[in-house]
Amino acid sequence: MGGVRLSAWFAPAADREAIDWGAVYAQELSRVLNYFRYRGFERTTAEDLTSATFEKAWRGRERYRPERAAVSTWLVAIARNVATDHLRRPRREVPLAEVSTRDEATPETEALADADRRRLATLLAGLPERERELLALKYGAGETNRAIARLAGLSESNVGTILHRALTGLRARWDEGGAR
Amino acid sequence: MSDDFLTRLREEPRPEFAARLEEHLHQIDVQREAPRAPGALRRLAPALAGAGLVCAIALGFTLEPVRAAARGFLDLFRVKSFAAVPVDPARLERLAKGGLDFKGLLAEQVQVVVAPEGPQPVDSPEAGALAAGITASQPSVLPRRYALAESAVARPGTFRVTIDNAKLQALALAAGADEIEIPPAWNGATLEVALPPVLALRYARTVEPGSEAPRGEAGFALLQSAVPQVDLPEAFDLATLGRLGLRVAGMSAAEALAFSRSIDWRSTLLVPVPIRGGTYREVDVSGHKGLLVTYQPQPRPATDGTTRPPRQQALLLWTASGKALAITGPGDGVQHLEMAESVR
Repeated sequence: MGGVRLSAWFAPAADREAIDWGAVYAQELSRVLNYFRYRGFERTTAEDLTSATFEKAWRGRERYRPERAAVSTWLVAIARNVATDHLRRPRREVPLAEVSTRDEATPETEALADADRRRLATLLAGLPERERELLALKYGAGETNRAIARLAGLSESNVGTILHRALTGLRARWDEGGAR
Repeated sequence: MSDDFLTRLREEPRPEFAARLEEHLHQIDVQREAPRAPGALRRLAPALAGAGLVCAIALGFTLEPVRAAARGFLDLFRVKSFAAVPVDPARLERLAKGGLDFKGLLAEQVQVVVAPEGPQPVDSPEAGALAAGITASQPSVLPRRYALAESAVARPGTFRVTIDNAKLQALALAAGADEIEIPPAWNGATLEVALPPVLALRYARTVEPGSEAPRGEAGFALLQSAVPQVDLPEAFDLATLGRLGLRVAGMSAAEALAFSRSIDWRSTLLVPVPIRGGTYREVDVSGHKGLLVTYQPQPRPATDGTTRPPRQQALLLWTASGKALAITGPGDGVQHLEMAESVR
């Protein structure tokens, strides 16, 4: 072991760039918001839950461990907890299909898209909770099957099977209603 | 099977929502990093030794401010907890340029009883702990590709400080702190500060066979020692001495008075944090309150004559099981906290 100079240990040292949390916010806001939308929360509630997610993450960001998960997955894990806490509270959630556009202006060009959203929200609302949760992680948060498996405590193949089954059923019902 | 239809629920965040949330997150940081009101300080960071502050300021600020903070670890006085004090290095420079000789004011009042010894390499953490008279604590979690590189024991020594009222009064006047009255009974009183040995473990990035070691990387260091003991004269008012230090550091008279009343001066070590480029926050380390300081070191010329901005550094301080511990190293503190929480 060579000589040691304690003072040198306080000298500047290169390791890794500090995470740009502002950039993380900009990149991940949409994914977190859409996770809540796919879980079935109407817009105002989804925004509230998104705010709660980012606030928790922001306050605890020194605890983020990059070797454990991508920051996006870490945020979605927080979002899942926020959703769970919210659903435990004794309150009635208004189904997404009922309110998705009622506070929005709907120009004619957007009317079809809004109708599609309502239909899709209705179909999602009819799914079992687990399938809906996995679809929200996949299509709302944009997670990979591997990340979903870690988040949900399932095997990757199990996640693939559940998603395939959910997608097949949804596709059939979507086509029954007349695809646009 | 196409899943395009499933993307039709996706939407972009409303700009006003995105802006409002971003501002809210910003405000969280502002509230965290702003100098705390005395009440918040009481909750945030209980006490540190007042004499430690004066020593840190008087000895340390001719050096880079937060390096002095790190070195302040070696100047612990019965530390149970740590508190950050925002300081203005420019103010200290102005005081020095105005003829205030910090070193001279202090040097004549400090007698070395046991001379300090620089870090001496030891064969292992256990051997170092034996030499330091403590049980070695080590982290089970390290930053990726880092490993224990060196162990050493430093002996900060024992000092006797003899109070010279005339010099303290001169310091108070130079700092514009003429509201602070130095008690006449202090003159000639002595404080004896015995600083226990410090076990220092350095963790460096491992090098692949055949590749060069990274240059200029000191890595992370875990420092630990028994909590130091300081003998104080009976009825010695550390709060007054601490107020003087706070005034020198740049606090207003009202702020310094409120601050000095809010902390336990006999158990709290003050850590100076530059008001620009430094942040601090209270953190939890396995159930113990800690202080995480981040700072941007001053740029230094490289060997090729160029000057590149150095990486952000962090210093995490906490006490546990009768020991004072610190982790220093690069980054924003995330890895420091991970290491600290795994220290056993």
